[in-house]
Amino acid sequence: MSFSSLKFNKTINLIPFQLKNLFLIVTSISICIFSCNSNTTKEKESYLRWVGDIEYDEETDNSDFKLCYADKDIRQYFNFSKGVQYKGEKPAIVQYFNKNYKPVSSKKSGLLRIRFVVNCKGETGRFRIMSMNAEYQPMEFEPQISNQLLDLTKKMDGWLPIEMDQMDNMSLDYYQYLIFKIQNGKIIEIMP
Amino acid sequence: MKLYLTIILFSISFLTLAQPNCNYFLHVGDSLKYEACKETENATGHYQFSKEFQIVMDNALAIDSTYSYAYRSKSVAYLKSGDFLEWKRLIDLAVKYDPIGNLGYRASCRHQFFKDYGGAIVDIEELSRMTHEDIGHSANGVYHLEVVRALCYRGLGNNDKAIEIIENQLATDDYLVGIYDYIHLGVLYLEAGDLEKAKSNFEKQLEYNDLAENHFYLAKALKAQGKMNEASIELENTIALYKKGYVMHDGYVYAEDKIYWSMIEQEKETLD
Repeated sequence: MSFSSLKFNKTINLIPFQLKNLFLIVTSISICIFSCNSNTTKEKESYLRWVGDIEYDEETDNSDFKLCYADKDIRQYFNFSKGVQYKGEKPAIVQYFNKNYKPVSSKKSGLLRIRFVVNCKGETGRFRIMSMNAEYQPMEFEPQISNQLLDLTKKMDGWLPIEMDQMDNMSLDYYQYLIFKIQNGKIIEIMP
Repeated sequence: MKLYLTIILFSISFLTLAQPNCNYFLHVGDSLKYEACKETENATGHYQFSKEFQIVMDNALAIDSTYSYAYRSKSVAYLKSGDFLEWKRLIDLAVKYDPIGNLGYRASCRHQFFKDYGGAIVDIEELSRMTHEDIGHSANGVYHLEVVRALCYRGLGNNDKAIEIIENQLATDDYLVGIYDYIHLGVLYLEAGDLEKAKSNFEKQLEYNDLAENHFYLAKALKAQGKMNEASIELENTIALYKKGYVMHDGYVYAEDKIYWSMIEQEKETLD
């Protein structure tokens, strides 16, 4: 019997225990390394082009909504120093929600933001919701509130394309948001 | 001209957040903050929303996780995109590591972007307790923080307190009157039914920074006094200034007491 075979035979009995431990150790180290790495790199790799960018999601976004330009060319509503561009301005926005929003009985209060894209034709798409309580902690409102506000926001038809004076009044795609301050199911303020 | 220059400079400072002088940290013997500060210089030329800008600030925080400037710089893009969750997380860290330098900023952002009146008041009052110096101005430079506090009390329905705060601030020695102070105070008096004091403030605004708004609210005060002809004249003045673009403006949010064309039309109907 050679030394190697002896060693092999001797180790046979130890394999299950050693393998188990080895597997656990290697797995633990791997998870730790992987998770540490992913945390470190996630911070950097999770950034999109700009903070707040909304990527197209074929499962949730309306495929009929088209940008006029590439994603990398979407601007922010305030990049043009013209403020929020809506036909009839803030009174029209407030009037629209006053008329159409049905208050819901709820004990929850906080802010709900709906962010979306307005394309160069004034059409909207890629809606995303975020909400919080009065302590700036994530909180979901009842679907009767959040879905209602989302549906109403999707139906708004007064968004105006923003023209860039410096570029022969060329209309661009831009990000817009609305924030609803909600108290016990009622809208008490609309921002921005 | 001087007034407009001031507005522009304040606006630019809000948009860019001035880079600190890194040598200050060397001077006080904080070499870690000096290194973090030097790292943030690499953000020059990058848009504050961009991945590159955010990564530079992350690198600075990897050097010194207590460097408040980097947290505040990172927070700006979240604020402007309406991401109240991440903005608050970041600005809270900036406040934690430099409360005097950031409480006033956080307060004015809470007021301006999220109508968080109670939170803004708490921040401003805490700042006042922490310093004997002037507590300074809002993030955009438009308001003294005392006026922000007043507007927050108004938002909570306490108009008397709001009037008291603004009157006290206007009576403070060497106070540089804000570009919209008299409009807000006038509207507060108008809502309280004190028409003479309301008119007096709109007239002061006219001399200081003439906008469509002060004529519009002056017209409302005159109408309430039954002076319809004078009210009509003021409404015409409103329209003239409105068409020239002399109105309250905020590039990010709808300014408080700002007037809109539909409001003018509605008022015109009641006077015709």
